Amino acid sequence: MSGHRIGAITRRLLQQFRRDRRTLALLFVAPIVILALLGYMIRGSSSTPSVGIANEDQGPLGATLASALERSSLISASTIQASEGDSRLKDGSLVAYIVFPADFSQRAQSGTIAPEVHLEGSQPGTSVPVLQALQQAFASSGPAAAVHFQPQIQYLYGGQGLDRLDYFGAAFIGLIVFFLVFVITIVAFLNERSQGTLERLMASPLRRGEIVIGYMIGFTVLALVQSAEVLLFALAVLKVYNQGNVILIFGLEALMALAAVNLGIFLSMFARTEFQAVQFIPLVVVPQFLLSGILFPVSTEPKPLQVISDVLPLTYAVNGLRDVMIKGADLTWSSLQLDAGVVAAYCVLLIVAGVATLRRRIA
Amino acid sequence: MAESFAVDVQGVQKKFGSLQALDGVTLRVRSGEIYGLLGPNGAGKTTLIRSIVGLVAPDAGTVSVLGLRMPNVENLRNVGYMTQQAALYPGLSVEENVQFFAAVNGAESGVTDALKLVELDQRRKSVVTTLSGGMRQRCSLACAIVHRPKLLLLDEPTVGLDPQLRVRFWDSFREMADGGTTIVVSSHVMDEAERCQRLGLVQYGKLLAEGSPDEIRSLAGTNNLEEAFLRLAGTGAES
Ligand SMILES: Nc1ncnc2c1ncn2[C@@H]1O[C@H](COP(=O)(O)OP(=O)(O)O)[C@@H](O)[C@H]1O
Ligand SMILES: [Mg+2]
Repeated sequence: MSGHRIGAITRRLLQQFRRDRRTLALLFVAPIVILALLGYMIRGSSSTPSVGIANEDQGPLGATLASALERSSLISASTIQASEGDSRLKDGSLVAYIVFPADFSQRAQSGTIAPEVHLEGSQPGTSVPVLQALQQAFASSGPAAAVHFQPQIQYLYGGQGLDRLDYFGAAFIGLIVFFLVFVITIVAFLNERSQGTLERLMASPLRRGEIVIGYMIGFTVLALVQSAEVLLFALAVLKVYNQGNVILIFGLEALMALAAVNLGIFLSMFARTEFQAVQFIPLVVVPQFLLSGILFPVSTEPKPLQVISDVLPLTYAVNGLRDVMIKGADLTWSSLQLDAGVVAAYCVLLIVAGVATLRRRIA
Repeated sequence: MAESFAVDVQGVQKKFGSLQALDGVTLRVRSGEIYGLLGPNGAGKTTLIRSIVGLVAPDAGTVSVLGLRMPNVENLRNVGYMTQQAALYPGLSVEENVQFFAAVNGAESGVTDALKLVELDQRRKSVVTTLSGGMRQRCSLACAIVHRPKLLLLDEPTVGLDPQLRVRFWDSFREMADGGTTIVVSSHVMDEAERCQRLGLVQYGKLLAEGSPDEIRSLAGTNNLEEAFLRLAGTGAES
């Protein structure tokens, strides 16, 4: 192994991309276009959700918050009785109702603000504005900083109460990076073969491992920039719901990018032409897209498909990203350790497979 | 070893499916000479050169380069290989291509000399896609010689070049050979054979005859190399 020669490969790759505007556009413009489209599709038509307010508070705080909520532009609030709330949710005239219980002001004095939030739960895109409106009302009514804001959330129908972009966003962040990096690697490596330069490299003192690692580093640099860009756009512009550590999300994305690079190198060994390489794309991407739990939870799949899902790296990556972003998982969670561990193991496996299948011999 | 051979090929056989691409080739290239591999298209020249660098695994027989049995990755440091197609990175400039192959061989200092030798130092910043075919060939040659190899393998380096450029290529081969580089050059053009010290005539994967141009001519009993080749090939079939 020579760091110097690995560096030569990496540098040359990046030089090539500097002049390849179209590929750069695919890497850095396509993800934004896809995410923006997705965000528009899912959120574009949203109207302000109808929320009922039941104020049973014997103190003054409930009324203050109720009037603040009525002024909120995030929701359209109306006054209801707590007893009629559930039936209004069921008949669809409300998507949520908030109850300020009798001891609301009293408990606030002792340090806890605990409004009851009842969410319909099955309709995506509604819970976030309700909670935001409540939080804003709470902030504007200005109780002491020491008070704990602890809304008691109940769902009428199971759901997470997140919108579809929140649910899919976490998965799509990973998917977009995986997909684009995979496509570019497989084609770039194949070019190396078809333009004859691989033959030259094989007739040089380069080791096979040096070629694979040099490629990996070059594409990983690009993939990390892309990952950072996608993440920033998702969090800052689309405001995809995130409870977790951004560094952790980025780390998972980087692992996926590494897996994608090495999968691309590995599979390019089995393609003789660019056309053949393109055929790998649906073969690799479509099953993972359908079976990795992005659209349909793995647990609801027929048993035989679950077996397949359980061996796909994307299943673990998607699960990990969702746990981090939606549930706020960190590395102390054993489920996240498993997810990250499996994706990392796939990276190692694919590096070994790539080196093993790269032949010095033409025949 | 009485005499040092830069290349020593012994009884090499190679089959692609049912096609016998190399059929028991034995040849030796002496250090410092220009050895011409002559033969029509499909004769097996490229396969032979690839088996010398270790890119083709012979079914039988052995290959040694500079005294070491091939395949030997470390030994490839001493070998320059110009492939039949000008294998370059189309998106990189001339200089970036040459620099890359220099770095791969740990020989960055040779870039300027190599570019001067192929007369491309004026065009070093040009991107390969903007170059003419002849310039690409020259760039490809520069990539093969940038690390000053002891053995240079050139697979039909002058195909598609105009006559002036062809002469300049052969002048630079001569210059490198005088500097001690051993050169194996394949060609299907007989008039280039005169510029080699020794020739190997290849057809159907066999070495038909070997020797200096004069020896080949007297072997075939003719004054014309082309004629000599046709006579030695027996059937005279050439594509
Ligand atoms: N990788 C390969 N697979 C199958 N057949 C090959 C391969 N390389 C060369 N051949 C065949 O071997 C024969 C010799 O080819 P080659 O060595 O390229 O000839 P030359 O370089 O003299 O034109 C040809 O018939 C060619 O089609
Ligand atoms: Mg050939």
